Amino acid sequence: MSQVEVRHLDGVPVARPRTDIDAANARLVRDELARCLGDAERLVLDLSETSYVDSAGIDMLFRLNELLHERRAALVLVIPQSSQLTRLAQIVALPSAMAIHETVEQALGASQHTGA
Amino acid sequence: MGQAQDSAPDSVLAPDPARRLDNVREITDSALGYMSLEDLLSELLDRIRKGLEADTAAVLLLDEERGVLVARAARGLEEEVRQGVQVPLARGFAGRVAAEMRPIVIEDLSHADVVNPILRQKGIRSMLGVPLHVEGRVIGVMHVGTLHRRLFGEEDISVLQLAADRAALAIDNARLAEQRSVTEVMQRTLLPDALPEVPGLRFSAKYLPAGSGVRIGGDWYDVLQLDNGHLALVIGDVVGRGVLAASVMAEIRTALRAYLTEGHEPGQAMSLLNDLLVSMGRHRSATAALIELDLDNEELEAVSAGHLPVLLITPDGRADYLEQLQGMPLGISAGQEYASQAYSFPVGSALLLYTDGLIERRDESIEEGLGRLREAAEQPEATTGELADHVYRALLDEASLEDDIALLATVSVPLEDTLRLTLPASPSVLGTLRRTLGRWLSNHGVGSEDSFGITLAASEAAGNAIEHAYGAREASFTVVCERDDTGVQIVVQDTGSWREHRPYGRGRGLGIMRALVDGVELESTEQGTTVTLNKHVPRSAG
Repeated sequence: MSQVEVRHLDGVPVARPRTDIDAANARLVRDELARCLGDAERLVLDLSETSYVDSAGIDMLFRLNELLHERRAALVLVIPQSSQLTRLAQIVALPSAMAIHETVEQALGASQHTGA
Repeated sequence: MGQAQDSAPDSVLAPDPARRLDNVREITDSALGYMSLEDLLSELLDRIRKGLEADTAAVLLLDEERGVLVARAARGLEEEVRQGVQVPLARGFAGRVAAEMRPIVIEDLSHADVVNPILRQKGIRSMLGVPLHVEGRVIGVMHVGTLHRRLFGEEDISVLQLAADRAALAIDNARLAEQRSVTEVMQRTLLPDALPEVPGLRFSAKYLPAGSGVRIGGDWYDVLQLDNGHLALVIGDVVGRGVLAASVMAEIRTALRAYLTEGHEPGQAMSLLNDLLVSMGRHRSATAALIELDLDNEELEAVSAGHLPVLLITPDGRADYLEQLQGMPLGISAGQEYASQAYSFPVGSALLLYTDGLIERRDESIEEGLGRLREAAEQPEATTGELADHVYRALLDEASLEDDIALLATVSVPLEDTLRLTLPASPSVLGTLRRTLGRWLSNHGVGSEDSFGITLAASEAAGNAIEHAYGAREASFTVVCERDDTGVQIVVQDTGSWREHRPYGRGRGLGIMRALVDGVELESTEQGTTVTLNKHVPRSAG
């Protein structure tokens, strides 16, 4: 079974992991996410329903971010303020490397500046 | 062969009472019962050939599906078996014996309708054949033949029929035993080897094959752990008995496993299974009940495909049948929808899934059976031990097993103050570890923020333990969690060798642990690495 559910909103792939991201599936998640980018300039990874991301998952996010940069695209995360993952993101300094938004809508809105 | 022709008179044999008695004794000899079917048939044919002074003796068995008699054992006509002689029913000599279900005597073969070419090639002149029957059905033919012309008489017929009856009994027993053992082997391979060990759940299960004959085969139960951390409990009953039912059960069980593992919701999985079975053709109908258990949220989802209602025991000891929306039995018509219903499943609850053999009795309505089961489940001791055992003993003391019985039960029990887990060193256990820890922490009054930090730190320590064991076969590691008034301590211990060239907590793991809990201690020896995590969480803080 695929690790992430992907839908496209305004041409932007919005991916949501089906389970936690950890050492068991980080590599699979990265591969699936990298594949679903297509021609888009952004990939939204919606972590609002995700309970845990472990260090293997965090490493994966940094590497995926670099990979997307090489393809002139950006990784955008959705982590609501109420999520425990917000704390983890701070600990590993995720915001220094990628944009983090409260909701998918905000993540998509932020992407529109590239259009107009 | 020539000898027999010389020594035997050319006319009708005079009945000899003493010889007849000898023959009967030889044929009913109880020692025959200890032989294999092969040996028994050979021995019986030898004795009958000698007793009736015949040159040949043979047994042909009926292949019901193809409507032919196939040579199974022969004396004096061994080619018959080697060449796999087949005689169509109602044709030829043996075919007529079987079709007419009566002894037939042929005095002169040269004027008779004979299918089997070997009889003529061998120069058989006269024959006597009798049917082999079991419970009024013909299962084959036994015949004897002579090279010289002879008219078999009443005495000969009765002796041969006696031998035929003895053979029929042995063949029928052997067939039953064979079918039974095939079915039993299938059942045993198909039922789970072991029930999963899930902290906070106590599983018990039973499978009892029917007491007699080949009625066993169609019942099964299954438990599987899903990727989303839920557990799927399945019970089912395939229509039919014997090897066919057991093989259909295997198909159904595997297909349902596949759909559930793929991540389908219970109702959807049942619907896909139903469509699959319908598309595969006849002989594939079954009833089944499926429960998906979510321990984190203390709830369950239930789906039924025409199965008897699952029994839910609440923490106060009351037992109630789940009022499920009944879906159609599986494999009857495509496109069925199976609606699932949600129930709460707090700690102290129990579930019992069963098949009809448990409650159905002759001269009793299903309602009475359901009532007896509910009473048994409401006894105070029901959920303190193995629920499946208790229910089985309560309901089946004297009853003979007329049908298979499958029983699957689980009791939700509080997690102990000290949680000890031994886990295989595979990353796939990390999710289970976090969910188990999450439940244990929640049971011990640790709030969600602290719980997140402790759980993730422990998961990081476990990830390292798994990495240390990399390459080792069947390695495992342990996690021991303790709670006291001031806080929580978690010790993760592996037996992997320390890799000097690789710093502990490769990457960000150690940093994450240190940020999330108050104390992280590492101790590495040649025997392995121990990580001790401490978090200050005063009791009754909430």
